[in-house]
Amino acid sequence: MDVTLEGVTIVRGGRPVLEIPALSFLSGTTTAVFGPNGSGKTTLLRVVGGLERPRSGTVRIGGEAPDRPDGTAPRHAFAFQEQVFLGGTVRRNLDLALELHHVPPDERLVRVAEVSGECGISAVLDRSARQLSCGEAQRVNLARALALRAPVTLLDEPLSGIDRLARTHLLDDLPRLFATFATTTILVTHDREEAFRLADQLVILVDGRVRAAGSKGAVYRDPRDAVVAALLGYTILPHAGGCIAVPPGGLRLGAAAAPTFTLHVERVVDMGDHPHVVGRVGDVRVDIRLGPSEALPAQGERVRVGATAFAALA
Amino acid sequence: MSDLAQGFAQALRLLTGGGEVWAIILRTLAISGLASLLAMLVGVPCGYAIARRSFPGRTAVLALVNTGMGMPPVVIGLVVWLLLTRSGPLGGLDLIYTRRAMVLAQFLIATPLVVGFTAASVQALPPQLPDLLVSLGASRLRMLWILSREAKLGLLAAVMAGFGAIVSEVGASMTVGGNLRDSTRVLTTAIVTETGRGNLPVALALGIVLLLLAFLVNLGLTLLQQRHAR
Repeated sequence: MDVTLEGVTIVRGGRPVLEIPALSFLSGTTTAVFGPNGSGKTTLLRVVGGLERPRSGTVRIGGEAPDRPDGTAPRHAFAFQEQVFLGGTVRRNLDLALELHHVPPDERLVRVAEVSGECGISAVLDRSARQLSCGEAQRVNLARALALRAPVTLLDEPLSGIDRLARTHLLDDLPRLFATFATTTILVTHDREEAFRLADQLVILVDGRVRAAGSKGAVYRDPRDAVVAALLGYTILPHAGGCIAVPPGGLRLGAAAAPTFTLHVERVVDMGDHPHVVGRVGDVRVDIRLGPSEALPAQGERVRVGATAFAALA
Repeated sequence: MSDLAQGFAQALRLLTGGGEVWAIILRTLAISGLASLLAMLVGVPCGYAIARRSFPGRTAVLALVNTGMGMPPVVIGLVVWLLLTRSGPLGGLDLIYTRRAMVLAQFLIATPLVVGFTAASVQALPPQLPDLLVSLGASRLRMLWILSREAKLGLLAAVMAGFGAIVSEVGASMTVGGNLRDSTRVLTTAIVTETGRGNLPVALALGIVLLLLAFLVNLGLTLLQQRHAR
């Protein structure tokens, strides 16, 4: 089901927190809504989920409003960032979600078994949902939403608050889970890696406004302005009276590539398999990953660096 | 010590002797039970609303409720008496010195307790729980039911606090009920009467009966509260 927003504005405390003239999420796509904290990402998700009514504008899921008559199952599933559970077991939490979506008891059993197997939570089904580790709780939180097999799945920061290893495993598992249980997925994240690993479409939200939207490749290759470019990991450097955006890995020590800049080396960090040079070009912080055999500059030294690739900014 | 032993013996005699003491016990249960029930019916939705909604003056209302939780029953009794007395604004209802007047006074004592306990227990729930239930498409009624189950510990504490406060209070019951024999005499006012008459063993026996009654009611509620509780 397509999700469309038209002329949506949300005002909180007299301040607009979301202003979206037009935005659509096409059926079958996975979109990451990506932006810094406080950019209105969660608000956008809540509007789509019918938990917040816009002051003006319309939200449509498959052509209809997201909030449905009392007691009717919504066409979306929502996994909140805060892993909130009812008292009782994990099984009860999953079962109740399915029950509220009017899934008959026999099928609920099958679906709980299936989703818990796929999400790797079979072992904790009969544990108290409020006594899980963060990683387990996040998996249960996601499983509860995915089990509904809703036409639209909304996930708020699906990898927040879990340790690195659990996050790595979940990053590997989620694309498969989306393919099995979800049709149209909208996920919110402030992490670039998560956005690119999990989604095919990207919506960049800054201060409540959509700054870029489209397939992730297209958005990445064409960073329209410095804010978007910086979010995408580009280094913004002044050049010829304007600015250029150098993609991650696009700066090299030496003057072989052009244009060149003067880097004031502040630190050389040994990352084990490779060193990093951290310093400043003018006021801009620059971090360059060196090859294992490259000569290391000294702390405080001024060296030339060149950009092998860059995009000019408007 | 021998007074206490005498009291227990007397209590046993009263309970096995049948007659008036059982009538008083049943009357006490009926009046305080009904008042508690009414306080729940009004207090739980009010407490829920105070906990969940934001409205102008919310803090003031909460402070008022919290004050009401510690209101001396005799003051409430006095106000109800002034309202219901023959020459008072509600004197025409002819309720003064009736069991209904006692139910009204006890209801007013118990309600702030129920509101306060309910508000506190609902506020202790995860704040996103209602959003979760809305996002799952729960109907309003179903949502209230699920939230009540989640807040069960606090809600049953609210009943126990309310019932405990009114079954044991004497001031309001005396003032608006009048302690009329075979009509509005309850355990607490009977204790006052017997103490006044110098019948200390009987007074003590009635006190023991009252404690026993309160214990049994709370035992039942506690069993309900702790069922399935971790």
